[in-house]
Amino acid sequence: MTAHPVAEVGKAARAPRRRLRTRLGGREGLAGWTIVFILIAVAILAPILAPHSPEAIDGNRILAAPTATHPFGSDDLGRDVLSRVLYAYRVSLGIAVGSVLLAMAVGLPIGVFAGYVGGWTDLILMRLIDLLLSFPALLLAISLIAILGPGSLVALLAIAIIYVPIMARVVRSSVLVVRGQAYVRGARARGASHLSIVRGHVLPNAIGPALVQASVLMAFAIVIEAALSFLGLGSQPPTPELGLMLADGNNYLTQAPWVEIFPGLGIAISVLAFNLIGDGLRRSFDPNGITR
Amino acid sequence: MTEQSRTVIEQDSVPLLEVEGLVKRFPIRRGLFGSGSVHAVEGVDLQIHAGEVLSLVGESGSGKSTLGMCVTGMSTPTAGRIRFAGEDVALASRRGRADFRRRVQPVFQDPRSSLDPRWPIETTIREPLDAYRVGSSAERTARVAELMDLVGLPRHFAPRQPRELSGGQQQRVAIAAALALRPELLVADEPVSALDVSVQAQILNLLDELRNRLKLALLFIAHDLSVVEHLSDRVAVMYLGRIVETGPVERIFSAPEHPYTRALIDAIPHADPGRKMSRIRLTGEIPSPVNPPSGCRFHPRCPVAVDRCSTEEPQDTQFDEGHSAACHVAAAALAQRGSIISVLSEGATS
Repeated sequence: MTAHPVAEVGKAARAPRRRLRTRLGGREGLAGWTIVFILIAVAILAPILAPHSPEAIDGNRILAAPTATHPFGSDDLGRDVLSRVLYAYRVSLGIAVGSVLLAMAVGLPIGVFAGYVGGWTDLILMRLIDLLLSFPALLLAISLIAILGPGSLVALLAIAIIYVPIMARVVRSSVLVVRGQAYVRGARARGASHLSIVRGHVLPNAIGPALVQASVLMAFAIVIEAALSFLGLGSQPPTPELGLMLADGNNYLTQAPWVEIFPGLGIAISVLAFNLIGDGLRRSFDPNGITR
Repeated sequence: MTEQSRTVIEQDSVPLLEVEGLVKRFPIRRGLFGSGSVHAVEGVDLQIHAGEVLSLVGESGSGKSTLGMCVTGMSTPTAGRIRFAGEDVALASRRGRADFRRRVQPVFQDPRSSLDPRWPIETTIREPLDAYRVGSSAERTARVAELMDLVGLPRHFAPRQPRELSGGQQQRVAIAAALALRPELLVADEPVSALDVSVQAQILNLLDELRNRLKLALLFIAHDLSVVEHLSDRVAVMYLGRIVETGPVERIFSAPEHPYTRALIDAIPHADPGRKMSRIRLTGEIPSPVNPPSGCRFHPRCPVAVDRCSTEEPQDTQFDEGHSAACHVAAAALAQRGSIISVLSEGATS
């Protein structure tokens, strides 16, 4: 009789669906997630969804206006813009998610370690991070590309390196707040090990701002990557990539605006989606719901 | 607690907790090169016997919380000795320290910040059991239920988040977690100050009930004498890092020796308008612990201070069995007439 009542009671009363929604960032977050999932589906299903091959050149359709078969028109080589935009999400989303995950994998442990241990460890780690932060982001990316050569993967790596110090700093500052909480001191007094305190108390309570930051950084990653490609430093033609397409369309903006507008919209939608998620998460990570 | 049972406690030879000459200073930096320190605790002696409730009373900034932190091992003293069950805590091995931590548990002031907002309360109560790997998983679950019963929490609260509970219930959770490892001493740092007055009494009653049932010793830290009268066996009054008076609770309330104690007692609000107003009122703020006043630390605010108080630091004077205070005026009165109370109250009203 004594063994179970604690575990059993109270499970029923919850509204789990509602809790999940709040956790994902409320209405805003849900909208963001929906768009992101659609975009991911689009990227994966691009070969099925795309009406034409992204690299098929059609001499008759150079800079042709949108029609029923080519709803986004055609570019300067007569390639179907819609198909290229659909394919372009593969690179853009891949780089956005990949670079942030990589930056988190490196930055999160640094931030947690520095913030939790404090003292000299914190001081030294943070000065190193500052060092990295003191380079202008684009310069850092360009010098890395100068060394390794241009390409999508190098762009991903460059963006990740730019993001590591940002991630580490955000995590550290929220760890500092959590570390000072009475429940952390109490857990210590109740005999919990540092490892279990970090895992059980510090990480869950400090991760919020980092996740918010992550979603915002994903949005920026898309823009940075597009900028690098625009400058010819990211993905190389003929890869369908949003930044590259912008660079292309730039030349024909007055004659064939669709070559420019649709990749631009593509960037805008994905950035919007990540920002929505970020805003929603920011709200839901405030456990007392003050901002709601 | 009756007169008789206290005598038994005092005869107990080895105190559960013995603090000797405890000093805690916090370094501070002033500008680039200047430095100083906050003298939070300046030479405190303290004893708590098994099953005894000692209340530590003083204004904010008197160093009582710092003392509590040192006693629970959350803060390392600058100097002095803390012995638990006869063993010096600072010299203990790693295992000895873990053992000490298990036997001395803190309860914090604000239950909202002492419970992890993301943990259901059953997990919070279970945490120390998991940390010390007490028994099997099923035994831990059973123990959590037992602890919830002990502190008067309905069992169906188990999966709730702290924010779904009231302040008093949250404090019950914190107490349950502190009791999980069957400690011998609970260090409660203003456990009721953050609660509503109506709830304060419930928590105080709970603590009283627990110490009786579990033979628990309690270091009860409070800034308000009104909450300690009912609960304590002994009271220690702290001012600016020093204990200025210590004694059995009845003595402290009926015949306080130190003017500061007297002022604290007079500050307790009473519901009797016809009551004689022979009050010592405290004026001003507690002085900065960076530059404590010379002589007796209380002299700038003391209504009965004499010249000697500003130059010479008073030593503890024994007034009665287990009752001592550090005050020149009270000591002089004791020496002259043997009568104590009258002089002080005259000094206060004149």
